Amino acid sequence: MIDTFSLLLTHGLIFLACWRLLGRDDLDREESGPATDLLGRPLPNESERTPPGA
Amino acid sequence: MRDLFFILFLAGMFGLGLRRPFILVLVYSYIDIVSPQRLSYYLLNSVPVSLLAFAGALGGWLLLDDKTDCRFSRRQGIMLLLLLYCGYTTLHADFPVEALTKWDWVWKALLFAIFLPLTLRTKLRIEALALIMVLCAGTIIITGGIKTALGGGGYGELNLMVDNNSGLYEGSIISMVAIAIIPLILYLSNYGTIYPPGRLTRLFAWAFCGACLLIPIGTEARTGLVCAAILAVMLWWHTRRRLLYAGLGALAVLVAIPFLPSSFTERMDTISAYQGDESASTRIQVWKWTLDYVRDNPLGGGFDNYLANSFTYQTVQKTETPGSVKVERVTVTDRGRAFHSSYFEMLGEQGVPGLLLWLALNLGTLVQSARLYRRYRNTDRAEHRWVAPFALAMAQGHVIYLVGSLFVGIAYQPFVFMLIALQIGATTYMRRRSSEADWRPIAVQAAR
Repeated sequence: MIDTFSLLLTHGLIFLACWRLLGRDDLDREESGPATDLLGRPLPNESERTPPGA
Repeated sequence: MRDLFFILFLAGMFGLGLRRPFILVLVYSYIDIVSPQRLSYYLLNSVPVSLLAFAGALGGWLLLDDKTDCRFSRRQGIMLLLLLYCGYTTLHADFPVEALTKWDWVWKALLFAIFLPLTLRTKLRIEALALIMVLCAGTIIITGGIKTALGGGGYGELNLMVDNNSGLYEGSIISMVAIAIIPLILYLSNYGTIYPPGRLTRLFAWAFCGACLLIPIGTEARTGLVCAAILAVMLWWHTRRRLLYAGLGALAVLVAIPFLPSSFTERMDTISAYQGDESASTRIQVWKWTLDYVRDNPLGGGFDNYLANSFTYQTVQKTETPGSVKVERVTVTDRGRAFHSSYFEMLGEQGVPGLLLWLALNLGTLVQSARLYRRYRNTDRAEHRWVAPFALAMAQGHVIYLVGSLFVGIAYQPFVFMLIALQIGATTYMRRRSSEADWRPIAVQAAR
């Protein structure tokens, strides 16, 4: 009974935490780094940039 | 039924991992800590879930993850050297068969800890790993805490879901880990974004911490009590109203003592009177043996070389009869007694080079945590406010581990390697962030 309660509680919380991660863009990429290139010119927007590896 | 539950849970987690590969890293951490294979009866035992999760985590990182500015820290290098050195001593071990059994899980723990920081590229990933780690440990701790509260404890008797007394399911180890993660639980309840601070989060966190504190009582592991005392001092040191909390702490201890089981108080009494305790006197003999062994074999004897030790000694035994106490000296012979200390475990098994590497790894983790804490303690940038409390929680947890290690052989504990990896991840992440913040375009630099 106690074992089942503990298993359900913690596993439920683990699963819910991972589920919440799905909707978070900052899991894989953060708004960071220079907003300009080496010469100080503004970089194109995130959506306009070529994805890495493409 | 339990098998079905674990299968559905793991299938769901792997499914989430297909959407976000980093989740597979969390799945492997979960499997390593909780060992669902051990909790299930038959189905999961036949599938190499651990291998599948590791392959998924590594493959996901290699194929899909962004590896820009990926850093390999000095401590990852130390772990790699330790891994290679452990491989060398396993090849020349005093007890090749036993050494190979231990090597079989140590190399996996070290390899995963070397790999893990490479995946911790964002703040959310660091938080997610910390959260999953404490919740995984919570699977064992909450069970043990509730059972202790209901009076089901006792030295070596607290049922932690499995009969198998290994990994985190061992009494002394879980009581050390339970205390060591308290600062991290408190940090997550105050600064978490997956489960943001709120009444429910705090309530759960406090109940969880309560369960953690009950574990040393339930397992009657003396190490846990020592660790809890150290934690209390460290937490108290960082409070604003020290006098008030000192008074409240003393009052809480006084109120709690009558509720402790008598077997617990009796066992804790032996902390100061170690002559009357076979387990404690044996430890001192094993430690002396280890020092003698290393004098002749400075490169170590490989995993489980303690099996070679044997000694006869005298100990004091008290027999209480109504109205009198009979004290007599008894001769005891012990063979193959475990090290009961991570420092001596490392020294005996991996010799002087292994101990030096292990100390460098652990002290490095403490120093880096302290540095992070000092650097961001008074930060005025909102996005960096989480760093100092996180670094402090990691440092406090690590001090607990290093103190617990004095009395328990947990030098290669996978959970602790994961904590070190988490700390490395946070350090390299902040280094990356600060170098980005310092970045200036050439035009600006030239204009200066």
